Amino acid sequence: MSMEMMLATYEFQQWLYREAKLLDDIDFDGWFALMHPEIMYSMPVRVNKEGIERPDYATDMFAFHDDHHLLSLRVERLKSDYAWAEIPPSRTRRSVNNVRVEEYAPGEKAVVKSYLLLYRSRSTDIHHDIVSGERTDEFVYVDGEWKLKKRFFVIDQTTINTRNLAIFV
Amino acid sequence: MGKPEVRLDEMTRDEALQYLNETMNPEEGAIPAYILSDPTIYKLEHEKIFMKTWVLLGHVSEIPNKNDYMLRDLAGYSVIVSHGQDGEIRAFYNMCTHRGMKLCRADHGNKANFTCPYHGFNFKNNGDLIGVPLQNDIYGGRLDTSKMGLNKVTIDTYRGLIFGTWNDNPQPLDDFLSDFKWYLDIGLGRTEMEVVGPPQKFIVHSNWKIGSDNFVSDSYHTMVTHGSIAQLGMVPSATYSKKGYQVHTDNGHGCLIGMPNPDFPFPEELKDEYKANLTPEQFDLISNMKNLIGTLFPNLSILVSHTKVKGQLVSNTTMRLWKPVGPDKMEVMTWFLVEKNASEDWKYRSREAYILTFSPSGIFEQDDTEVFTDITQAASGTMPFAKQLTYNYTMGMHREPVTDFPGPGVAYGDKFSEANSRNYYRYWLNLMNS
Repeated sequence: MSMEMMLATYEFQQWLYREAKLLDDIDFDGWFALMHPEIMYSMPVRVNKEGIERPDYATDMFAFHDDHHLLSLRVERLKSDYAWAEIPPSRTRRSVNNVRVEEYAPGEKAVVKSYLLLYRSRSTDIHHDIVSGERTDEFVYVDGEWKLKKRFFVIDQTTINTRNLAIFV
Repeated sequence: MGKPEVRLDEMTRDEALQYLNETMNPEEGAIPAYILSDPTIYKLEHEKIFMKTWVLLGHVSEIPNKNDYMLRDLAGYSVIVSHGQDGEIRAFYNMCTHRGMKLCRADHGNKANFTCPYHGFNFKNNGDLIGVPLQNDIYGGRLDTSKMGLNKVTIDTYRGLIFGTWNDNPQPLDDFLSDFKWYLDIGLGRTEMEVVGPPQKFIVHSNWKIGSDNFVSDSYHTMVTHGSIAQLGMVPSATYSKKGYQVHTDNGHGCLIGMPNPDFPFPEELKDEYKANLTPEQFDLISNMKNLIGTLFPNLSILVSHTKVKGQLVSNTTMRLWKPVGPDKMEVMTWFLVEKNASEDWKYRSREAYILTFSPSGIFEQDDTEVFTDITQAASGTMPFAKQLTYNYTMGMHREPVTDFPGPGVAYGDKFSEANSRNYYRYWLNLMNS
């Protein structure tokens, strides 16, 4: 790996760690500020296929399929007095790993893949939920910062074992 | 009634039923908490309800082509629903008739035959056993393959909905749906509807009945549980859910019709199709309808929702199954349906509204599941049973049905009532005693 790619990998790892920290600390405004105005935030429905044919997710149905406006509604809602799904907020812990920079144009754009393991604990419930999957993220460099322009999260369960997706992936 | 000396699982079946009948009085709005958590009740429900009634398997638009199939379950038992080469839709228990292996593990696909991964027995998608490896040699020509076809599931369809039942002698589907067909027509048969994409599935630690009950009668919770939606300006006010009708029919079915609506909630260009598919009374109703929320007994809920997204009104149509997985656990399966002949723009916006509001990430959906989970927890264990904790379902008992509503069934002129839940639980109790 070239020095440039090593530095880029480190840079995006740190970006993703910081993002995870903002979400785990329920700083939704801080998190939303990382989004590019043209963000497309998607999570397709994963399906069981017969064999090894791919993709094994739907191309026409999603659990999330949000542009900047729709994502802002979710953020605003979570800050309202009636967002019962997250009152009190879940305790979450996002572990981001296996970070790979797939495409990189310095100071311009990048495509980064990573694995996400999200632990969720709610209230006094002794159950915890695990959401696992792979992210494909596209970044654009704007005014000295990397902004997230596309997130595509492929979850590892076809029946999702958490009561709702009132959390971000 | 006396306080229980023993738990239901220590009683005989007759004693348990007698206790249920003594402690539950849907007519008077008395519903005991333990029916949302007790393992004995759960077992009886499985036998008396899910093994007997019609339960939704899916929609014909999910398997439009010959040899298409989808894997579903009926009362928790894996079922292959296939579209045969002759055009007929059939359903089979997903089990090889030789030694019991599951034949199919994919959610959906296109196949003329199913081959067992254990010994290679091969079944045509009409259920016939058509191939057995080395058959003549190892069975000496004595294997009667004509008696080894797949176990068939009784199915029937209405307005594209495929229902199945394990009952060998079921009530005809038409009779079971009875007057509720009038409302299914509006919800899912007003024009040619098609399912988009695979259904979404997620697990909620809730008793399944809470979902059915919520959709059959509960507009009242919208003000509070879904208060955030009004705050975001997606619906006019927090009390918007009160105006309209609450209607129930025989067999526990019921729905809520939000009215009036100054805006037509469907694609304008399809008005002629609606008129062709509906009676004039039904068409008048949808022309003035805000939303339709209902439950077809036991666990299919339908929903036509009308919200403002990005400054534009759009409706989205969904159905969902509240599938029991245990006394305190269900799998929610939701489908999005759209008017097949609508514009691409409408289809996109309608799907967008569904994903935002009623998918697993939906901002309506998620607050409900929080409530369902906590109700189930509070109903669980020995204490709610021993203390005879009972819910109050008396809302609207002072009201008389209206006589000028155009649809069949018993209609009330206000959505805030628990009449539909009393009707739902009345039928539930009837079946438990059957």
